[in-house]
Amino acid sequence: MKKSIIAFPALALTAVFLTGCASMPTVSETPLDRNPITSKMEAQDVRRTVEKMAESLISAPGVKEMTGGKRPVLDIEPLQNRTMQHIDMVSVTDSLRMQLLRSGLFRFVDKSTAGTDIEFMDAQANLGLTDSKKAVRAGQQSAAQMYLTGALTEIKNTVGRTTDQYYKFSMILKDLRTGELVWADEQEIRKQSVKSRF
Amino acid sequence: MKIGIQGLFSAALALSLVALTGCVDTAGTTVNVDHVDGVSEVLEDSVRLRRQMGVEVNSLNYDTVNGMKRVHITLANKKHKRIKLHYRISWFNENGMEVDPDTKPYRSLIIEGKDKVTVTGVANSLQAVRSKLRVRAAKEAM
Repeated sequence: MKKSIIAFPALALTAVFLTGCASMPTVSETPLDRNPITSKMEAQDVRRTVEKMAESLISAPGVKEMTGGKRPVLDIEPLQNRTMQHIDMVSVTDSLRMQLLRSGLFRFVDKSTAGTDIEFMDAQANLGLTDSKKAVRAGQQSAAQMYLTGALTEIKNTVGRTTDQYYKFSMILKDLRTGELVWADEQEIRKQSVKSRF
Repeated sequence: MKIGIQGLFSAALALSLVALTGCVDTAGTTVNVDHVDGVSEVLEDSVRLRRQMGVEVNSLNYDTVNGMKRVHITLANKKHKRIKLHYRISWFNENGMEVDPDTKPYRSLIIEGKDKVTVTGVANSLQAVRSKLRVRAAKEAM
């Protein structure tokens, strides 16, 4: 009798544990700007950085003056990742370019797709499928007047169970003709995580 | 019979509590600014959140930079302790439609006790003529 009293709860507990292991993980949609869950670079940090940089560049006083009030033609060089984490920096720069383009204040050329441009032009000129009068010839593309570039750096310190992580996104806009820096800004992010005792 | 009604009432109360626990109140302070007419309004959507956060809109200004509308809103912490907030400044066109909502995320903000912080937002399009600041408690953002 006594044995069965002990065995039953034990069996029930085991069943609960096993069910927990076998069950599917709970998946739910969360807001894009959620609270941090790690001290690493997270999606909301990237979103906030891109927004801050876009706002800063849009309101920069010198950019329009440098191009005589016209919409400047920019190119963007992917940011350097100087952290220990894997972060897709091309995606970050893509987001920034998208926001700047949507603002209507800037024009962009894309050096990274120049190879594809040549393939298209070559096909239009040589395959015989395109009307030769309408075929796009090389040598007519806009030239980038300025380019955007930057870096992401980190400082990490661990003391006991506490990890302090500091990130800095820094960006510059450089005038190709004069070599001057037209704009520069940075975004700092600091996070702390404390490991559980157990 | 009396016990039956009480039981029913208790069950209803328990159900309501369960339902309420699942919902999170994120309706904080809202500041609407019309950059054309200059009309602004501050709305306190939730008394509970206002008391909890202890943040007040101190002043607001707006101007234009490179043809884009810009707004500066000063938030004051009425409490002695540090508060953590999230804020978002969204922009609307003449028809009241939000312009590129995905490009305006919530930003985090820390205001020290009895301190003031000015937050600035720049429109993401030349079509934006109205702005709206929304403030929510940081812990509600899960």
